[in-house]
Amino acid sequence: MATTTATITINSTDLLSDELSLSTTATLTAADSSTGLTDVSGLARKTVTGGHAQYTLFDGSDYTADKAHKLYLKNISTTAAEFFLITVNAEDVGRLYAGDWALIPWSAHDNDCDIKIDPSANDMTLEYMLFIDE
Amino acid sequence: MATTAAVTLNSDLLSDSISLTASSTLMKAGTTADDLDMVDYGVIDIVTGDQFDLLDADNPASSPVAGVMANKANKVYIANHATDETYYVTIMIDAQNVGRLYAGDWMFIPWGAEDANADIEITSSTGTNKIEYALFHQGRTLNAS
Repeated sequence: MATTTATITINSTDLLSDELSLSTTATLTAADSSTGLTDVSGLARKTVTGGHAQYTLFDGSDYTADKAHKLYLKNISTTAAEFFLITVNAEDVGRLYAGDWALIPWSAHDNDCDIKIDPSANDMTLEYMLFIDE
Repeated sequence: MATTAAVTLNSDLLSDSISLTASSTLMKAGTTADDLDMVDYGVIDIVTGDQFDLLDADNPASSPVAGVMANKANKVYIANHATDETYYVTIMIDAQNVGRLYAGDWMFIPWGAEDANADIEITSSTGTNKIEYALFHQGRTLNAS
């Protein structure tokens, strides 16, 4: 059985009066089970030439609905004002600014539950990887 | 002031191993010099039966800080500390299904809170799920008493 782990570490020395140090590790498993996820899209990189346009990154109809898919995203831009607007089923999730990353649970709840990206400028590049629950 | 968030992904599900690390400093929208300097943090039991607003996006126009959280670089961390593998919470934004956070899973997402309806909503599937959450932001509205 494949084992995939995701660890997040959040640190701050001065956000609070005491130091913040948080770390959690998750083993990525299939829905309702302890079996590790067995499929992955592979790490990919996409440069979108046209800004202010929406692109479908993952189509909800291509994946089994109501599962435990996990999506990793990173905006590799170094221009602070540049962001990707991330949407799920046409609902804004948030803005992924330059250098930011995200790990998003995705249920592919129905055929409309696409993951879409909308770059704020031309020629922006996103790195992404989808861990898939068949 | 600096808050950093790092992720490490390791896997043996390919014939070669996957090992990926990314780290970012949590900045206010569009800057490289001004960090996110506010945080809301909590741990709460989510019981079955209802959908709850875990984080409320409401930024009333009459508020002196109206819109300060909307369309910014807010970050949300949520971890599900349930231990039964069949337990999960469903995460939604403005009634749109985003995904399921199963026992032991965590998520870290940008949150635009683009309008008053863009709440982060949570529903427990089975039993009680203990949820840890943090919102890193640059200001939000407090409800007047």
